[in-house]
Amino acid sequence: MSETAAAHASHEHHQELGFLRTYIFSLDHKMIGRQFLFMGLLMIVVGGLLAMLVRWELAWPETPVPGLGFIPEPYIYPGDHGGGIIPPPTYNALFTMHATIMIFFVVMPIMVGTFGNFLIPLMIGTRDMAFPKLNMLSFWIGAIATCVMLSSFFVPGGPAAGGWTSYAPLSARPQYTGVDLGQDLWIISLLILGVSSLMGSINYITTIINMRAPGMTYFRMPLTVWSLFVTAILLLLALPVLTAALAMLLFDRIAGTSFFLPDGGGQPLLWQHMFWFFGHPEVYILVLPAMGVTSDILSTFSRKPIFGYHAMAFSMIAIAFLSWIVWGHHMFVSGMNPLLGTAFMMTTMVIAVPSAIKVFNWLGTLWGGNIRLTSPMLFALGFVSNFLIGGLSGIFMASTPVDIFIHDTYYIVAHFHYVVAGIIFALFAAVYYWFPKMFGRRMNEGLAKIHFVLTYIFFNGTFFPMHFLGIAGHMRRIYNPTQYEFLLPMQHWNVFITISALCLGASQIFFLVNFIWSLIAGKKAERNPWQANTLEWSAPTPPPHGNFEVQPVVYRGPYEYSSPEVKEDWLPQDKNLGVAAVRTH
Amino acid sequence: MLQWLPEDVSTFGQEIDSLFYLIYYITAVTFILVTVVMVVFLIKYREQSGRRATYTHGNTTLEIIWTIIPAAILIVLALMSASTWAKVKRHVPDTDFEVGVTAKQFNWEISYPGPDGKLGTDDDVKFDNDLHVPVHKVVRLVIASRDVIHSFFIPNMRFKQDAVPGRQIINWFEATKPGKYELPCAELCGFGHSGMKGWLFVMTPDEYKKWADENLAAKPQ
Amino acid sequence: MAQSSTARKIDEPSVPLEVRRPGFGGGEPPPPPVRPNAQIASNAWLAVLMLLGAEAMFFAGLIGAFLVFRIASPIWPPPFQPRLPIEVTGANTLILLASAVTIRLGLRAIQRGEPARLMRLMSWTAAAGTIFLLIQGFEWFRLLHFGLTLSSSIYGGLFYTIIGCHALHVFGALIWLLVVFQKAHSGKYTRENYVGLQTCGMYWTFVVGLWPVLYGLVYLY
Ligand code: HEA
Ligand code: HEA
Ligand code: CUA
Ligand SMILES: [Cu+2]
Repeated sequence: MSETAAAHASHEHHQELGFLRTYIFSLDHKMIGRQFLFMGLLMIVVGGLLAMLVRWELAWPETPVPGLGFIPEPYIYPGDHGGGIIPPPTYNALFTMHATIMIFFVVMPIMVGTFGNFLIPLMIGTRDMAFPKLNMLSFWIGAIATCVMLSSFFVPGGPAAGGWTSYAPLSARPQYTGVDLGQDLWIISLLILGVSSLMGSINYITTIINMRAPGMTYFRMPLTVWSLFVTAILLLLALPVLTAALAMLLFDRIAGTSFFLPDGGGQPLLWQHMFWFFGHPEVYILVLPAMGVTSDILSTFSRKPIFGYHAMAFSMIAIAFLSWIVWGHHMFVSGMNPLLGTAFMMTTMVIAVPSAIKVFNWLGTLWGGNIRLTSPMLFALGFVSNFLIGGLSGIFMASTPVDIFIHDTYYIVAHFHYVVAGIIFALFAAVYYWFPKMFGRRMNEGLAKIHFVLTYIFFNGTFFPMHFLGIAGHMRRIYNPTQYEFLLPMQHWNVFITISALCLGASQIFFLVNFIWSLIAGKKAERNPWQANTLEWSAPTPPPHGNFEVQPVVYRGPYEYSSPEVKEDWLPQDKNLGVAAVRTH
Repeated sequence: MLQWLPEDVSTFGQEIDSLFYLIYYITAVTFILVTVVMVVFLIKYREQSGRRATYTHGNTTLEIIWTIIPAAILIVLALMSASTWAKVKRHVPDTDFEVGVTAKQFNWEISYPGPDGKLGTDDDVKFDNDLHVPVHKVVRLVIASRDVIHSFFIPNMRFKQDAVPGRQIINWFEATKPGKYELPCAELCGFGHSGMKGWLFVMTPDEYKKWADENLAAKPQ
Repeated sequence: MAQSSTARKIDEPSVPLEVRRPGFGGGEPPPPPVRPNAQIASNAWLAVLMLLGAEAMFFAGLIGAFLVFRIASPIWPPPFQPRLPIEVTGANTLILLASAVTIRLGLRAIQRGEPARLMRLMSWTAAAGTIFLLIQGFEWFRLLHFGLTLSSSIYGGLFYTIIGCHALHVFGALIWLLVVFQKAHSGKYTRENYVGLQTCGMYWTFVVGLWPVLYGLVYLY
């Protein structure tokens, strides 16, 4: 079938569906992916602005934040000329919601929701997800969860303020935090989100197992698909545990049980065990897709097969397995049996190894390449270097004695921002890389490069000095460091970090502008702008309903760049070279 | 960078710090190696027209090497840490000096055994937020909490232990240098978490004796 | 079909082995003959299998919590708490187990293409499920009467949470069964195509299979 014919067919297809079915309640995996993307980008603005308030408070404690005066007391106290002073309870709510939003409503919807939906069917060469309806449902339930979470900002008492880990008993009794309805909504929202991601993961796994194109064997799948596959399995098995814990917490709050309340015979540490049993797989759920897209992008722009494909795939599987037996490393000084501490230290050290394999294979991929420093490539490299720093700082806390000192200090905050906020780099890389396929237009390369440079500089300016604070013993979750004499000499670092953080935030404007402008007026993208191998690039741009003109047939792995079989330096997976492949050069 | 570590005044702090330094150097070296290699590659192999990337899918020996080496390093690290950990958290040296630390929103309640010389009896002598201990003496802490989880943190001692409601956690430290040290709460415990702190006074034996006679002996409670 | 013709044409890409470095490092094994990947099972079957996996983890979480308390407390059930109705529930267990047998037989029946038999067995299953729920509800009613409530103790809390979650699952499975029953009634299932029936059967079997575990833990252990 010729291309025009396909365009024509897809054209007809669109006329059948009205606006509602095409853009709102769409069953098309690509549209659902886009919906997740917009939701996520909206939320990153919210979560980021919350972070900005957190930073302001830490640098200039108890001084009025410009333009915050409109919020009523007791949430914000009026300061001079329109400013508003953040009181401690509000501060706790700020970082709690910042974290919750960033993790559950930014990184998960975008890395898993958007790219999972958009890429899996395209990359394995099928028409759509296994269960399109379930897919749509998964998005809309996720959207409801988001609304519930956001609504908690407007209830009396304000949103949850027990930290994103919501340790019981603090979170289990309103009088401890002064937050009542807000915490319930937090719990309910995450319960709903659990349903949404359950549907999502079931869909992903089924699709990958059952709907691969002819010739697309497991070990011909792009690493992005591999990573999403593993992630989906982790999601499927990890979230229900959180659901169970959340249900118990909710009962403690509204039904009078006392699972986590000691004076009723409950076990406070039980919550921590259940939360982290979910929580650690969760952090790898966040990072694995980032690793996947990074692998693809590095290989594409080095014009070179990924180094050690199998090692990459197996290391992800290894991470998935190990991530179930390391949760205790969050609880070294929680009062858990010290012997367990030792055991968890061992497993935690071991889990660093597969990550090491990935880092080194990324280097191997660069070696001997023909590297094009496009904006996706730059961001992918940025992710690698951030993950390196974040990972290495993880080794400090993996060592139990060292963790005694740095636990609950900014050393931890530095660590996890380098990894979780580092994911934002992979996120940008993926958006820049697949934007042409998603929206049929190119993003502005110049703006993108500026965006990268600024983001990279200010990101490190923001999060690296946090290590210094941590070394000085600066606790997390305190709203006024100047209350502590031993921290006074370090306060200038807080100021430095905040200024850099504000710049980091401001630099994101380059992205927003570029993104929106390119949506409307970016120059049209051809089919395979990056000269990449994977199947999505041999579908029309943007792919019509049903993706491919003809069912693609896969003849080789996804990374056959600079293959001696052909004279150009890429060789699409579905390109048929016939019997005697003529060997030019 | 490491000079920012608070001055260490405990017996086990030295071991903890040396582990910190060790990991610091290992990771620093790793970081520099990886970054330098990366940058070199980026420059050396930047796109040049007419050049073609080397077509290779990897190398098994390399894979094995860079799996074994980090694994080895990490296992050794774990083993070294384990001994220190056992010393700090598992084996509490026996001592005749016992102090109770009970956290509550948002105070440290420090209690010394009263005349009967036993903790937890109602003749205990209680103070708010001020912990006085003699130098060079093993201090046995009985850490508990009234309401939510707090964390008893003495930066200068490299000491930290969560205070969990419904449990009594036994920990210890031994100060090596007289002085006045801050003891903040390190676990989020509500709106008063920030600012929940007390002071640790490490005193020379006779100073301490003097203080004890004045405050502990027959203090009308 | 177009693909199959192309499929016959391809063979081992002519690249010398030394450059492709196969084995652990990756590389391209000889391409298998191109054919649509044989589905290992129907989508629906896989999906339900995974749903069950998630459900299992959910109950694993609850059971884990239960064990934490059970093992921590020497006397169980705690004093002044009504005992659970072991005998009645035991009988009830048998009823539920029977329902698993009937639904399995039902599946066998449709495979043999005996719709009438299928209908009979399904109604038995549904009946068993309903009876189970009724007895459970009745027992709960009595227990509440005796003062075992969610908030009366951890014991009560765990009991109602775990058993309640299971009851909800049975209820859900029942609804599903009735829907499938309706479809079967209108003759939607044939000996070739009975996926809807099969998946419902899986779920039912899971819910039933889960029960003895919970019974053993919550009632007997
Ligand atoms: C994407 C998220 C992500 C990732 C990937 C990781 C990865 C790791 N994390 Fe992190 N972690 C978090 C997110 C993440 N973490 C979050 C959010 C928290 C805080 C939660 C909270 O309390 O709010 C946390 C907290 C946390 C703690 C608890 C600290 C405390 O509260 O006291 C610990 C302790 O062991 C830890 C360890 C590790 C380790 C060992 C890794 C390893 O996987 C890292 C492995 C990678 C490398 C090591 C780098 C590459 C390797 C090489 C270059 C080879 C050579 C290296 C050596 C030889 C050393 N993390
Ligand atoms: C994916 C996860 C993620 C991400 C991306 C981030 C991003 C950021 N975080 Fe986050 N953070 C967490 C996860 C994350 N964080 C978690 C889990 C915690 C622990 C919470 C707890 O203790 O319970 C935490 C806690 C935390 C703290 C510690 C609070 C405390 O312990 O007291 C701080 C303080 O500096 C901080 C800062 C930041 C900053 C400056 C960013 C920046 O990267 C944000 C930059 C982005 C934007 C600013 C938005 C986009 C920009 C615009 C829309 C342009 C307009 C904006 C301006 C002009 C300013 N975070
Ligand atoms: Cu007490 Cu924080
Ligand atoms: Cu972890």
